[in-house]
Amino acid sequence: MNFLIEDRKTRIYWNPYFGGFLLGLILLFSFYMSGRGVGASGGIKSAVVATVNAVAPTHAENSAYFSKFLKGDKSPLNTWLVFQMLGVIAGAFFSGAINNRLKIRVQHSPKISPKTRLWFALLGGFLFGGGAQLARGCTSGGALSGFAANSLGGLIIMVSIFGSGYLFAYFFRKLWI
Amino acid sequence: MSKRYIFISVVFIALALVLVLLPKQQNRNAFRPDLLLLEINSGDRFLSVDHIAERIIQGDPSILLIDVRNPDLYDEYHIPGSFNIPLNEVLNDSLNAALQLAHKDIVFYSNSTLSADQAWILCRRNKMENQYVMEGGLNTWFDHIMTPVPPRETEGNDAIALYEFRSGASIFFGMPAPVVAYKAPETVKLQNTAVTRKPEPAKQVIELKKVEEEEEEEEGC
Amino acid sequence: MGPLIPNEIISPEWNHVFAVLIGIAFGIVMESSGFSSSRKIMGSFYAYDFTMIRVFMTAAITALIGVLYMDYFGWIDRTELFVVPTYLGATIIGGALMGIGFLAAGFCPGTSFLAAAIGKVDGMVFIGGAFLGILFFGEIFPLISDFYYANYLGHITIEESLGIAPDWLALIFVVIAVAVFYVLSIIRKSVQKVKY
Repeated sequence: MNFLIEDRKTRIYWNPYFGGFLLGLILLFSFYMSGRGVGASGGIKSAVVATVNAVAPTHAENSAYFSKFLKGDKSPLNTWLVFQMLGVIAGAFFSGAINNRLKIRVQHSPKISPKTRLWFALLGGFLFGGGAQLARGCTSGGALSGFAANSLGGLIIMVSIFGSGYLFAYFFRKLWI
Repeated sequence: MSKRYIFISVVFIALALVLVLLPKQQNRNAFRPDLLLLEINSGDRFLSVDHIAERIIQGDPSILLIDVRNPDLYDEYHIPGSFNIPLNEVLNDSLNAALQLAHKDIVFYSNSTLSADQAWILCRRNKMENQYVMEGGLNTWFDHIMTPVPPRETEGNDAIALYEFRSGASIFFGMPAPVVAYKAPETVKLQNTAVTRKPEPAKQVIELKKVEEEEEEEEGC
Repeated sequence: MGPLIPNEIISPEWNHVFAVLIGIAFGIVMESSGFSSSRKIMGSFYAYDFTMIRVFMTAAITALIGVLYMDYFGWIDRTELFVVPTYLGATIIGGALMGIGFLAAGFCPGTSFLAAAIGKVDGMVFIGGAFLGILFFGEIFPLISDFYYANYLGHITIEESLGIAPDWLALIFVVIAVAVFYVLSIIRKSVQKVKY
Protein backbone atom coordinates (compact mmCIF):
# COMPACT_ATOMS: atom_id res chain seq x y z
CA MET A 1 0.00 0.00 0.00
CA ASN A 2 1.21 3.45 -0.76
CA PHE A 3 1.36 5.54 2.33
CA LEU A 4 1.56 9.25 2.11
CA ILE A 5 3.97 11.33 4.03
CA GLU A 6 1.21 13.03 5.92
CA ASP A 7 -0.87 12.03 8.88
CA ARG A 8 -1.39 8.32 8.41
CA LYS A 9 -4.58 8.15 10.36
CA THR A 10 -6.59 10.23 7.96
CA ARG A 11 -4.84 10.10 4.64
CA ILE A 12 -4.26 6.52 3.61
CA TYR A 13 -5.06 5.91 -0.01
CA TRP A 14 -5.20 2.75 -2.06
CA ASN A 15 -2.41 1.50 -4.21
CA PRO A 16 -2.79 3.39 -7.50
CA TYR A 17 -2.39 0.32 -9.68
CA PHE A 18 -5.09 -1.40 -7.71
CA GLY A 19 -7.34 1.63 -7.94
CA GLY A 20 -6.67 1.93 -11.64
CA PHE A 21 -7.43 -1.72 -12.19
CA LEU A 22 -10.73 -1.41 -10.35
CA LEU A 23 -11.55 1.68 -12.35
CA GLY A 24 -10.90 -0.28 -15.52
CA LEU A 25 -13.26 -3.00 -14.31
CA ILE A 26 -15.93 -0.42 -13.56
CA LEU A 27 -15.48 0.95 -17.05
CA LEU A 28 -15.87 -2.53 -18.50
CA PHE A 29 -18.99 -3.09 -16.49
CA SER A 30 -20.38 0.19 -17.72
CA PHE A 31 -19.62 -0.76 -21.31
CA TYR A 32 -21.21 -4.14 -20.83
CA MET A 33 -24.36 -2.79 -19.26
CA SER A 34 -25.04 0.51 -20.93
CA GLY A 35 -22.77 0.54 -23.92
CA ARG A 36 -21.04 3.67 -22.75
CA GLY A 37 -18.33 4.65 -20.34
CA VAL A 38 -18.39 7.05 -17.41
CA GLY A 39 -18.42 10.81 -17.72
CA ALA A 40 -18.66 14.03 -15.80
CA SER A 41 -18.87 17.26 -17.73
CA GLY A 42 -22.10 16.20 -19.38
CA GLY A 43 -23.74 16.08 -15.98
CA ILE A 44 -22.84 19.69 -15.26
CA LYS A 45 -24.02 20.66 -18.72
CA SER A 46 -27.39 19.05 -18.06
CA ALA A 47 -27.63 21.03 -14.86
CA VAL A 48 -26.90 24.25 -16.74
CA VAL A 49 -29.50 23.47 -19.40
CA ALA A 50 -32.06 22.62 -16.75
CA THR A 51 -31.35 25.81 -14.85
CA VAL A 52 -31.54 28.00 -17.93
CA ASN A 53 -34.73 26.27 -18.91
CA ALA A 54 -36.23 26.81 -15.48
CA VAL A 55 -35.23 30.42 -15.17
CA ALA A 56 -35.78 31.61 -18.73
CA PRO A 57 -37.51 28.96 -20.85
CA THR A 58 -37.94 31.06 -23.95
CA HIS A 59 -34.31 32.04 -23.92
CA ALA A 60 -33.37 28.40 -23.63
CA GLU A 61 -35.45 27.50 -26.64
CA ASN A 62 -34.09 30.33 -28.68
CA SER A 63 -30.53 29.66 -27.75
CA ALA A 64 -28.77 27.77 -30.46
CA TYR A 65 -26.81 25.72 -28.01
CA PHE A 66 -29.15 24.97 -25.14
CA SER A 67 -32.11 24.15 -27.31
CA LYS A 68 -30.28 21.14 -28.61
CA PHE A 69 -30.57 19.48 -25.26
CA LEU A 70 -34.19 20.25 -24.60
CA LYS A 71 -36.31 17.36 -25.67
CA GLY A 72 -40.00 17.84 -25.21
CA ASP A 73 -41.27 17.33 -21.72
CA LYS A 74 -38.43 15.29 -20.40
CA SER A 75 -36.36 17.25 -17.96
CA PRO A 76 -32.82 17.82 -19.22
CA LEU A 77 -31.69 16.32 -15.94
CA ASN A 78 -33.13 12.98 -16.91
CA THR A 79 -29.93 11.64 -18.41
CA TRP A 80 -27.64 8.75 -17.69
CA LEU A 81 -24.81 11.05 -16.74
CA VAL A 82 -26.75 12.99 -14.15
CA PHE A 83 -27.70 9.80 -12.38
CA GLN A 84 -24.13 8.60 -12.58
CA MET A 85 -22.87 11.82 -11.03
CA LEU A 86 -25.33 11.45 -8.17
CA GLY A 87 -23.85 8.03 -7.57
CA VAL A 88 -20.35 9.48 -7.69
CA ILE A 89 -21.18 12.02 -5.03
CA ALA A 90 -22.70 9.34 -2.84
CA GLY A 91 -19.79 6.98 -3.35
CA ALA A 92 -17.19 9.64 -2.70
CA PHE A 93 -18.99 10.78 0.42
CA PHE A 94 -19.15 7.21 1.65
CA SER A 95 -15.49 6.61 0.99
CA GLY A 96 -14.55 9.90 2.58
CA ALA A 97 -16.66 9.09 5.58
CA ILE A 98 -15.20 5.70 6.35
CA ASN A 99 -11.71 7.04 5.80
CA ASN A 100 -12.20 9.98 8.05
CA ARG A 101 -11.59 12.48 5.29
CA LEU A 102 -14.75 14.49 5.61
CA LYS A 103 -13.97 18.07 6.45
CA ILE A 104 -15.03 21.41 5.07
CA ARG A 105 -11.84 23.10 4.02
CA VAL A 106 -9.93 24.65 1.18
CA GLN A 107 -7.01 22.56 0.17
CA HIS A 108 -4.14 24.66 -1.02
CA SER A 109 -0.41 24.83 -1.22
CA PRO A 110 1.07 26.59 1.81
CA LYS A 111 2.65 29.09 -0.56
CA ILE A 112 -0.64 30.63 -1.63
CA SER A 113 -3.64 31.87 0.26
CA PRO A 114 -7.01 30.12 0.29
CA LYS A 115 -8.51 33.01 -1.60
CA THR A 116 -5.99 32.62 -4.40
CA ARG A 117 -6.75 28.96 -4.50
CA LEU A 118 -10.46 29.56 -4.80
CA TRP A 119 -10.06 32.12 -7.56
CA PHE A 120 -7.95 29.74 -9.56
CA ALA A 121 -10.38 26.93 -8.91
CA LEU A 122 -13.09 29.15 -10.34
CA LEU A 123 -10.97 30.03 -13.34
CA GLY A 124 -10.01 26.43 -13.91
CA GLY A 125 -13.61 25.38 -13.69
CA PHE A 126 -14.60 28.05 -16.16
CA LEU A 127 -12.01 26.89 -18.67
CA PHE A 128 -12.92 23.28 -18.16
CA GLY A 129 -16.61 23.93 -18.62
CA GLY A 130 -16.15 25.73 -21.90
CA GLY A 131 -13.38 23.45 -23.10
CA ALA A 132 -15.40 20.34 -22.39
CA GLN A 133 -18.24 21.67 -24.52
CA LEU A 134 -15.88 22.33 -27.40
CA ALA A 135 -14.20 18.98 -27.17
CA ARG A 136 -17.41 17.07 -26.35
CA GLY A 137 -15.80 15.41 -23.39
CA CYS A 138 -13.53 15.77 -20.40
CA THR A 139 -10.92 13.53 -18.87
CA SER A 140 -13.26 10.84 -17.60
CA GLY A 141 -15.77 10.70 -20.39
CA GLY A 142 -13.68 11.79 -23.31
CA ALA A 143 -10.15 10.75 -22.61
CA LEU A 144 -10.61 7.65 -20.50
CA SER A 145 -13.89 6.16 -21.67
CA GLY A 146 -13.54 7.47 -25.19
CA PHE A 147 -10.07 6.08 -25.59
CA ALA A 148 -11.05 2.73 -24.10
CA ALA A 149 -13.87 2.55 -26.63
CA ASN A 150 -11.38 3.14 -29.41
CA SER A 151 -12.56 6.66 -30.30
CA LEU A 152 -10.28 9.00 -32.16
CA GLY A 153 -11.89 11.88 -30.29
CA GLY A 154 -10.95 10.26 -27.01
CA LEU A 155 -7.35 9.94 -28.07
CA ILE A 156 -7.20 13.56 -29.20
CA ILE A 157 -8.77 14.80 -25.99
CA MET A 158 -6.36 12.76 -23.92
CA VAL A 159 -3.32 13.94 -25.81
CA SER A 160 -4.38 17.57 -25.88
CA ILE A 161 -5.34 17.79 -22.21
CA PHE A 162 -2.21 16.16 -20.88
CA GLY A 163 -0.09 17.68 -23.58
CA SER A 164 -1.15 21.20 -22.79
CA GLY A 165 -0.96 20.37 -19.10
CA TYR A 166 2.68 19.40 -19.30
CA LEU A 167 3.43 22.20 -21.71
CA PHE A 168 2.14 24.95 -19.45
CA ALA A 169 2.83 23.35 -16.08
CA TYR A 170 5.79 25.61 -15.52
CA PHE A 171 3.61 28.72 -15.48
CA PHE A 172 1.37 27.44 -12.75
CA ARG A 173 4.02 25.92 -10.56
CA LYS A 174 3.58 28.51 -7.84
CA LEU A 175 0.15 27.14 -7.15
CA TRP A 176 1.36 23.69 -6.34
CA ILE A 177 4.97 23.43 -5.29
CA MET B 1 10.01 -2.16 -9.32
CA SER B 2 9.37 -5.01 -6.98
CA LYS B 3 8.86 -8.56 -8.15
CA ARG B 4 5.13 -8.28 -7.76
CA TYR B 5 4.87 -5.37 -10.17
CA ILE B 6 7.14 -7.00 -12.68
CA PHE B 7 4.93 -10.03 -12.61
CA ILE B 8 1.77 -7.96 -13.14
CA SER B 9 3.37 -6.02 -15.97
CA VAL B 10 4.37 -9.22 -17.69
CA VAL B 11 0.83 -10.54 -17.33
CA PHE B 12 -0.62 -7.43 -18.94
CA ILE B 13 1.84 -7.44 -21.80
CA ALA B 14 1.21 -11.11 -22.33
CA LEU B 15 -2.55 -10.56 -22.45
CA ALA B 16 -2.16 -7.81 -25.02
CA LEU B 17 0.24 -9.93 -27.04
CA VAL B 18 -2.20 -12.80 -27.08
CA LEU B 19 -4.87 -10.47 -28.39
CA VAL B 20 -2.69 -9.48 -31.30
CA LEU B 21 -1.89 -13.07 -32.12
CA LEU B 22 -5.42 -14.40 -31.89
CA PRO B 23 -7.10 -15.22 -35.18
CA LYS B 24 -9.51 -12.52 -36.16
CA GLN B 25 -13.18 -13.20 -36.32
CA GLN B 26 -14.82 -12.58 -39.63
CA ASN B 27 -18.49 -12.54 -38.88
CA ARG B 28 -18.58 -9.23 -37.09
CA ASN B 29 -21.89 -7.85 -38.26
CA ALA B 30 -23.47 -11.18 -38.97
CA PHE B 31 -26.82 -10.81 -40.58
CA ARG B 32 -29.62 -12.30 -38.50
CA PRO B 33 -32.18 -13.78 -40.84
CA ASP B 34 -34.35 -14.88 -37.95
CA LEU B 35 -34.76 -11.29 -36.78
CA LEU B 36 -35.69 -10.17 -40.26
CA LEU B 37 -38.25 -12.96 -40.48
CA LEU B 38 -39.79 -11.79 -37.21
CA GLU B 39 -40.11 -8.32 -38.61
CA ILE B 40 -41.61 -9.53 -41.84
CA ASN B 41 -44.17 -11.61 -40.03
CA SER B 42 -45.16 -8.85 -37.68
CA GLY B 43 -46.37 -6.67 -40.50
CA ASP B 44 -45.57 -3.51 -38.59
CA ARG B 45 -44.14 -1.98 -41.67
CA PHE B 46 -47.46 -1.56 -43.42
CA LEU B 47 -49.15 1.79 -43.47
CA SER B 48 -52.61 2.19 -44.83
CA VAL B 49 -53.36 4.59 -47.67
CA ASP B 50 -55.69 6.50 -45.35
CA HIS B 51 -52.90 7.06 -42.86
CA ILE B 52 -50.55 8.31 -45.54
CA ALA B 53 -53.17 10.53 -47.13
CA GLU B 54 -53.89 12.09 -43.76
CA ARG B 55 -50.25 12.82 -43.10
CA ILE B 56 -49.80 14.41 -46.49
CA ILE B 57 -52.88 16.56 -46.08
CA GLN B 58 -51.73 17.73 -42.70
CA GLY B 59 -48.37 18.61 -44.17
CA ASP B 60 -46.50 16.26 -41.88
CA PRO B 61 -42.84 16.89 -42.71
CA SER B 62 -41.66 13.66 -41.23
CA ILE B 63 -42.89 11.46 -44.03
CA LEU B 64 -40.92 10.71 -47.15
CA LEU B 65 -42.59 8.78 -49.94
CA ILE B 66 -40.54 6.75 -52.37
CA ASP B 67 -42.03 5.52 -55.60
CA VAL B 68 -40.16 2.38 -56.61
CA ARG B 69 -41.67 1.98 -60.06
CA ASN B 70 -40.06 2.82 -63.35
CA PRO B 71 -39.54 6.51 -64.14
CA ASP B 72 -42.10 6.60 -66.95
CA LEU B 73 -44.79 5.30 -64.63
CA TYR B 74 -43.71 7.85 -62.07
CA ASP B 75 -44.02 10.63 -64.62
CA GLU B 76 -47.52 9.59 -65.52
CA TYR B 77 -48.70 9.82 -61.99
CA HIS B 78 -47.15 9.81 -58.57
CA ILE B 79 -48.39 10.74 -55.17
CA PRO B 80 -47.63 14.44 -54.70
CA GLY B 81 -44.41 14.96 -52.82
CA SER B 82 -42.97 11.53 -53.49
CA PHE B 83 -39.57 10.80 -54.97
CA ASN B 84 -38.78 8.24 -57.60
CA ILE B 85 -36.18 5.58 -56.92
CA PRO B 86 -36.68 2.62 -59.21
CA LEU B 87 -36.46 -0.73 -57.50
CA ASN B 88 -33.23 -1.72 -59.17
CA GLU B 89 -31.53 1.43 -57.91
CA VAL B 90 -32.79 1.35 -54.38
CA LEU B 91 -29.64 -0.16 -52.91
CA ASN B 92 -27.39 2.75 -53.78
CA ASP B 93 -25.26 3.27 -50.66
CA SER B 94 -24.95 7.01 -50.70
CA LEU B 95 -28.64 7.30 -51.41
CA ASN B 96 -29.42 5.09 -48.45
CA ALA B 97 -27.13 7.13 -46.27
CA ALA B 98 -28.84 10.33 -47.36
CA LEU B 99 -32.24 8.85 -46.67
CA GLN B 100 -31.16 7.67 -43.25
CA LEU B 101 -29.85 11.07 -42.30
CA ALA B 102 -33.09 12.74 -43.24
CA HIS B 103 -34.54 11.15 -40.11
CA LYS B 104 -37.93 10.78 -41.62
CA ASP B 105 -40.29 7.88 -42.02
CA ILE B 106 -39.54 6.40 -45.41
CA VAL B 107 -42.56 4.89 -47.12
CA PHE B 108 -42.15 2.76 -50.20
CA TYR B 109 -45.00 2.34 -52.60
CA SER B 110 -45.59 0.78 -55.99
CA ASN B 111 -48.65 -0.28 -57.91
CA SER B 112 -49.51 -3.08 -55.58
CA THR B 113 -47.59 -4.08 -52.49
CA LEU B 114 -45.07 -6.38 -54.09
CA SER B 115 -42.33 -4.12 -55.42
CA ALA B 116 -42.54 -1.82 -52.44
CA ASP B 117 -42.18 -4.73 -50.10
CA GLN B 118 -39.18 -5.95 -52.02
CA ALA B 119 -37.62 -2.52 -51.67
CA TRP B 120 -38.34 -2.65 -47.97
CA ILE B 121 -36.62 -5.98 -47.52
CA LEU B 122 -33.60 -4.90 -49.54
CA CYS B 123 -33.14 -1.73 -47.58
CA ARG B 124 -33.78 -3.44 -44.28
CA ARG B 125 -31.13 -5.95 -45.16
CA ASN B 126 -28.88 -2.96 -45.80
CA LYS B 127 -29.55 -1.90 -42.22
CA MET B 128 -31.81 1.00 -42.97
CA GLU B 129 -34.38 1.95 -40.41
CA ASN B 130 -37.67 3.80 -40.17
CA GLN B 131 -39.03 2.42 -43.36
CA TYR B 132 -42.54 1.37 -44.22
CA VAL B 133 -44.63 0.06 -47.06
CA MET B 134 -47.85 1.54 -48.30
CA GLU B 135 -50.19 -1.37 -48.15
CA GLY B 136 -52.00 -2.08 -51.37
CA GLY B 137 -49.95 0.41 -53.35
CA LEU B 138 -51.36 2.81 -55.87
CA ASN B 139 -54.17 0.48 -56.75
CA THR B 140 -55.54 0.78 -53.24
CA TRP B 141 -54.71 4.49 -53.29
CA PHE B 142 -57.05 4.94 -56.20
CA ASP B 143 -59.65 2.61 -54.83
CA HIS B 144 -59.89 4.28 -51.48
CA ILE B 145 -58.62 7.81 -51.67
CA MET B 146 -59.13 9.00 -55.17
CA THR B 147 -62.40 7.24 -55.85
CA PRO B 148 -63.88 6.41 -52.50
CA VAL B 149 -66.85 4.14 -52.37
CA PRO B 150 -69.79 5.49 -50.40
CA PRO B 151 -70.65 3.26 -47.44
CA ARG B 152 -73.70 1.07 -47.55
CA GLU B 153 -76.58 1.96 -45.32
CA THR B 154 -75.84 -0.91 -43.00
CA GLU B 155 -72.41 0.38 -42.09
CA GLY B 156 -71.88 2.46 -38.98
CA ASN B 157 -70.64 5.96 -38.28
CA ASP B 158 -67.05 4.98 -38.63
CA ALA B 159 -67.53 4.00 -42.22
CA ILE B 160 -69.33 7.26 -42.93
CA ALA B 161 -66.56 9.28 -41.30
CA LEU B 162 -63.99 7.36 -43.30
CA TYR B 163 -65.86 8.03 -46.49
CA GLU B 164 -66.04 11.73 -45.76
CA PHE B 165 -62.35 11.82 -45.05
CA ARG B 166 -61.62 10.02 -48.27
CA SER B 167 -63.84 12.30 -50.29
CA GLY B 168 -62.06 15.30 -48.90
CA ALA B 169 -58.74 13.64 -49.59
CA SER B 170 -59.64 12.89 -53.16
CA ILE B 171 -60.47 16.53 -53.77
CA PHE B 172 -57.24 17.57 -52.08
CA PHE B 173 -55.29 15.35 -54.40
CA GLY B 174 -56.83 16.82 -57.47
CA MET B 175 -59.78 14.69 -58.36
CA PRO B 176 -62.88 16.59 -59.34
CA ALA B 177 -65.73 15.72 -57.02
CA PRO B 178 -67.26 12.31 -57.38
CA VAL B 179 -65.54 10.49 -60.19
CA VAL B 180 -66.25 7.13 -61.66
CA ALA B 181 -63.50 4.73 -60.73
CA TYR B 182 -61.20 3.72 -63.49
CA LYS B 183 -58.53 1.27 -62.70
CA ALA B 184 -56.30 -0.99 -64.78
CA PRO B 185 -54.68 -3.98 -63.12
CA GLU B 186 -51.05 -2.97 -63.42
CA THR B 187 -50.70 0.61 -64.65
CA VAL B 188 -52.93 3.45 -63.59
CA LYS B 189 -53.64 6.33 -65.94
CA LEU B 190 -55.05 9.57 -64.67
CA GLN B 191 -56.44 12.51 -66.65
CA ASN B 192 -53.64 15.05 -66.60
CA THR B 193 -55.72 18.15 -65.98
CA ALA B 194 -57.00 16.97 -62.64
CA VAL B 195 -53.55 16.39 -61.28
CA THR B 196 -51.78 19.48 -62.51
CA ARG B 197 -54.42 21.82 -61.16
CA LYS B 198 -53.39 21.16 -57.60
CA PRO B 199 -50.00 22.53 -56.71
CA GLU B 200 -47.72 20.00 -55.14
CA PRO B 201 -46.91 20.42 -51.50
CA ALA B 202 -43.55 22.06 -50.98
CA LYS B 203 -40.75 19.82 -52.08
CA GLN B 204 -39.18 18.11 -49.17
CA VAL B 205 -35.54 18.82 -49.27
CA ILE B 206 -33.33 16.23 -47.71
CA GLU B 207 -30.73 18.33 -46.10
CA LEU B 208 -27.47 16.60 -45.59
CA LYS B 209 -27.01 18.50 -42.42
CA LYS B 210 -25.47 15.48 -40.82
CA VAL B 211 -24.00 17.50 -38.07
CA GLU B 212 -27.14 19.03 -36.67
CA GLU B 213 -29.12 15.84 -36.82
CA GLU B 214 -26.45 13.95 -34.95
CA GLU B 215 -26.09 16.46 -32.15
CA GLU B 216 -29.70 16.17 -31.11
CA GLU B 217 -29.42 12.64 -29.97
CA GLU B 218 -26.38 12.45 -27.78
CA GLU B 219 -25.78 13.14 -24.19
CA GLY B 220 -22.03 13.03 -24.68
CA CYS B 221 -19.57 12.93 -21.85
CA MET C 1 -24.66 -10.41 -26.10
CA GLY C 2 -23.65 -7.06 -24.71
CA PRO C 3 -23.99 -4.19 -24.37
CA LEU C 4 -27.04 -5.37 -22.53
CA ILE C 5 -29.31 -2.39 -22.32
CA PRO C 6 -28.88 -1.02 -25.83
CA ASN C 7 -29.72 -4.49 -27.07
CA GLU C 8 -32.68 -4.59 -24.72
CA ILE C 9 -31.62 -7.78 -23.08
CA ILE C 10 -32.24 -5.89 -19.88
CA SER C 11 -35.06 -3.42 -20.08
CA PRO C 12 -33.98 0.19 -20.62
CA GLU C 13 -35.63 1.36 -17.41
CA TRP C 14 -32.72 -0.17 -15.59
CA ASN C 15 -30.28 2.10 -17.36
CA HIS C 16 -30.48 4.87 -14.83
CA VAL C 17 -30.28 2.39 -11.97
CA PHE C 18 -27.03 1.06 -13.33
CA ALA C 19 -25.85 4.59 -13.88
CA VAL C 20 -26.21 5.26 -10.18
CA LEU C 21 -24.51 2.01 -9.23
CA ILE C 22 -21.66 2.60 -11.59
CA GLY C 23 -21.35 6.13 -10.27
CA ILE C 24 -21.20 4.92 -6.69
CA ALA C 25 -18.47 2.44 -7.53
CA PHE C 26 -16.63 5.10 -9.51
CA GLY C 27 -16.87 7.51 -6.59
CA ILE C 28 -15.66 5.03 -4.04
CA VAL C 29 -12.71 3.82 -6.09
CA MET C 30 -11.59 7.26 -7.16
CA GLU C 31 -11.91 8.84 -3.77
CA SER C 32 -10.12 5.96 -2.11
CA SER C 33 -7.33 6.26 -4.62
CA GLY C 34 -6.85 9.86 -3.68
CA PHE C 35 -8.49 11.79 -6.46
CA SER C 36 -10.34 14.02 -4.09
CA SER C 37 -7.09 15.80 -3.35
CA SER C 38 -6.09 18.35 -5.94
CA ARG C 39 -2.53 18.49 -4.74
CA LYS C 40 -2.24 14.75 -5.15
CA ILE C 41 -3.58 14.94 -8.67
CA MET C 42 -1.21 17.69 -9.69
CA GLY C 43 1.71 15.70 -8.41
CA SER C 44 1.84 14.06 -11.79
CA PHE C 45 2.60 17.34 -13.48
CA TYR C 46 5.16 18.41 -10.93
CA ALA C 47 6.86 15.11 -10.28
CA TYR C 48 6.07 14.62 -6.64
CA ASP C 49 3.19 12.15 -6.78
CA PHE C 50 2.42 10.18 -9.88
CA THR C 51 -0.76 8.59 -8.64
CA MET C 52 -2.93 10.23 -11.26
CA ILE C 53 -0.95 8.96 -14.20
CA ARG C 54 -0.68 5.51 -12.76
CA VAL C 55 -4.37 5.20 -12.07
CA PHE C 56 -5.31 6.66 -15.43
CA MET C 57 -3.05 4.45 -17.47
CA THR C 58 -3.83 1.32 -15.51
CA ALA C 59 -7.52 1.94 -15.98
CA ALA C 60 -7.00 2.59 -19.69
CA ILE C 61 -5.04 -0.59 -20.32
CA THR C 62 -7.44 -2.68 -18.24
CA ALA C 63 -10.39 -1.35 -20.16
CA LEU C 64 -8.67 -1.65 -23.54
CA ILE C 65 -7.67 -5.25 -23.00
CA GLY C 66 -10.93 -6.09 -21.28
CA VAL C 67 -13.09 -4.80 -24.09
CA LEU C 68 -11.13 -6.72 -26.68
CA TYR C 69 -11.34 -9.96 -24.76
CA MET C 70 -15.02 -9.55 -24.07
CA ASP C 71 -15.50 -8.87 -27.73
CA TYR C 72 -13.54 -11.93 -28.68
CA PHE C 73 -15.58 -14.16 -26.40
CA GLY C 74 -18.78 -12.74 -27.83
CA TRP C 75 -19.90 -11.15 -24.59
CA ILE C 76 -20.03 -7.72 -26.11
CA ASP C 77 -20.15 -6.22 -29.58
CA ARG C 78 -17.56 -3.52 -29.31
CA THR C 79 -18.79 -1.76 -32.42
CA GLU C 80 -21.90 -0.81 -30.46
CA LEU C 81 -19.99 1.10 -27.80
CA PHE C 82 -20.46 4.82 -27.74
CA VAL C 83 -17.72 6.52 -29.71
CA VAL C 84 -17.00 10.18 -29.00
CA PRO C 85 -17.69 12.38 -32.04
CA THR C 86 -14.61 14.06 -33.44
CA TYR C 87 -14.61 17.66 -34.53
CA LEU C 88 -10.96 18.14 -35.20
CA GLY C 89 -10.37 21.82 -34.45
CA ALA C 90 -12.80 22.10 -31.57
CA THR C 91 -11.50 18.97 -29.88
CA ILE C 92 -7.91 20.10 -29.91
CA ILE C 93 -8.64 23.62 -28.73
CA GLY C 94 -11.08 22.35 -26.15
CA GLY C 95 -8.48 19.93 -24.87
CA ALA C 96 -5.86 22.65 -24.66
CA LEU C 97 -8.22 24.88 -22.67
CA MET C 98 -9.00 22.01 -20.38
CA GLY C 99 -5.32 21.36 -19.83
CA ILE C 100 -4.81 24.92 -18.68
CA GLY C 101 -7.90 24.73 -16.53
CA PHE C 102 -6.51 21.56 -15.03
CA LEU C 103 -3.32 23.35 -14.08
CA ALA C 104 -5.16 26.29 -12.62
CA ALA C 105 -7.63 24.35 -10.55
CA GLY C 106 -6.11 20.96 -10.04
CA PHE C 107 -9.40 19.30 -10.80
CA CYS C 108 -11.26 17.89 -13.71
CA PRO C 109 -15.06 17.71 -13.55
CA GLY C 110 -15.08 14.16 -12.23
CA THR C 111 -12.60 14.75 -9.44
CA SER C 112 -14.19 18.02 -8.49
CA PHE C 113 -17.32 16.13 -7.53
CA LEU C 114 -15.25 13.80 -5.39
CA ALA C 115 -13.67 16.72 -3.64
CA ALA C 116 -16.96 18.54 -3.21
CA ALA C 117 -18.53 15.40 -1.78
CA ILE C 118 -15.99 15.24 1.02
CA GLY C 119 -16.32 18.89 1.84
CA LYS C 120 -13.62 20.64 -0.11
CA VAL C 121 -14.70 24.13 -0.92
CA ASP C 122 -12.30 24.39 -3.83
CA GLY C 123 -14.06 21.46 -5.43
CA MET C 124 -17.41 23.14 -5.06
CA VAL C 125 -16.03 26.37 -6.46
CA PHE C 126 -14.71 24.43 -9.42
CA ILE C 127 -18.14 23.05 -10.12
CA GLY C 128 -19.52 26.56 -9.90
CA GLY C 129 -16.86 27.73 -12.30
CA ALA C 130 -17.68 24.93 -14.71
CA PHE C 131 -21.32 25.92 -14.50
CA LEU C 132 -20.44 29.47 -15.43
CA GLY C 133 -18.13 28.29 -18.16
CA ILE C 134 -20.84 26.24 -19.78
CA LEU C 135 -23.30 29.06 -19.43
CA PHE C 136 -20.84 31.46 -21.03
CA PHE C 137 -20.20 28.98 -23.79
CA GLY C 138 -23.89 28.64 -24.45
CA GLU C 139 -24.30 32.38 -24.69
CA ILE C 140 -21.42 32.99 -27.06
CA PHE C 141 -22.23 29.89 -29.02
CA PRO C 142 -23.61 31.68 -32.09
CA LEU C 143 -20.26 33.38 -32.50
CA ILE C 144 -18.23 30.20 -32.51
CA SER C 145 -20.82 27.93 -34.00
CA ASP C 146 -18.91 27.48 -37.22
CA PHE C 147 -15.76 26.50 -35.43
CA TYR C 148 -17.72 24.20 -33.16
CA TYR C 149 -19.01 22.19 -36.10
CA ALA C 150 -15.93 22.36 -38.26
CA ASN C 151 -14.05 19.33 -39.48
CA TYR C 152 -16.59 16.78 -38.45
CA LEU C 153 -15.10 13.34 -38.79
CA GLY C 154 -18.03 11.53 -37.32
CA HIS C 155 -18.07 9.02 -34.51
CA ILE C 156 -14.83 7.79 -35.85
CA THR C 157 -12.70 5.16 -34.22
CA ILE C 158 -8.94 5.05 -34.05
CA GLU C 159 -9.06 2.02 -36.27
CA GLU C 160 -10.93 3.82 -39.02
CA SER C 161 -8.90 6.99 -38.92
CA LEU C 162 -5.35 6.01 -38.11
CA GLY C 163 -5.54 2.48 -39.36
CA ILE C 164 -4.27 1.02 -36.09
CA ALA C 165 -6.11 -2.16 -35.24
CA PRO C 166 -7.47 -2.16 -31.68
CA ASP C 167 -5.40 -5.12 -30.56
CA TRP C 168 -2.21 -3.47 -31.74
CA LEU C 169 -3.29 -0.27 -30.06
CA ALA C 170 -3.78 -2.19 -26.83
CA LEU C 171 -0.40 -3.83 -27.11
CA ILE C 172 1.41 -0.59 -27.88
CA PHE C 173 -0.34 1.23 -25.11
CA VAL C 174 0.35 -1.50 -22.57
CA VAL C 175 4.03 -1.43 -23.44
CA ILE C 176 4.10 2.35 -23.17
CA ALA C 177 2.26 2.20 -19.87
CA VAL C 178 4.64 -0.32 -18.36
CA ALA C 179 7.59 1.70 -19.55
CA VAL C 180 6.11 4.84 -18.06
CA PHE C 181 5.48 3.12 -14.75
CA TYR C 182 9.04 1.92 -14.66
CA VAL C 183 10.44 5.35 -15.41
CA LEU C 184 8.15 6.95 -12.85
CA SER C 185 9.25 4.57 -10.14
CA ILE C 186 12.83 5.54 -10.78
CA ILE C 187 11.98 9.23 -10.76
CA ARG C 188 10.16 8.86 -7.50
CA LYS C 189 13.17 7.51 -5.81
CA SER C 190 15.35 10.39 -6.83
CA VAL C 191 13.04 13.38 -6.63
CA GLN C 192 12.96 15.44 -3.47
CA LYS C 193 9.80 14.69 -1.65
CA VAL C 194 7.21 17.42 -1.43
CA LYS C 195 5.21 17.40 1.71
CA TYR C 196 1.56 17.99 1.07
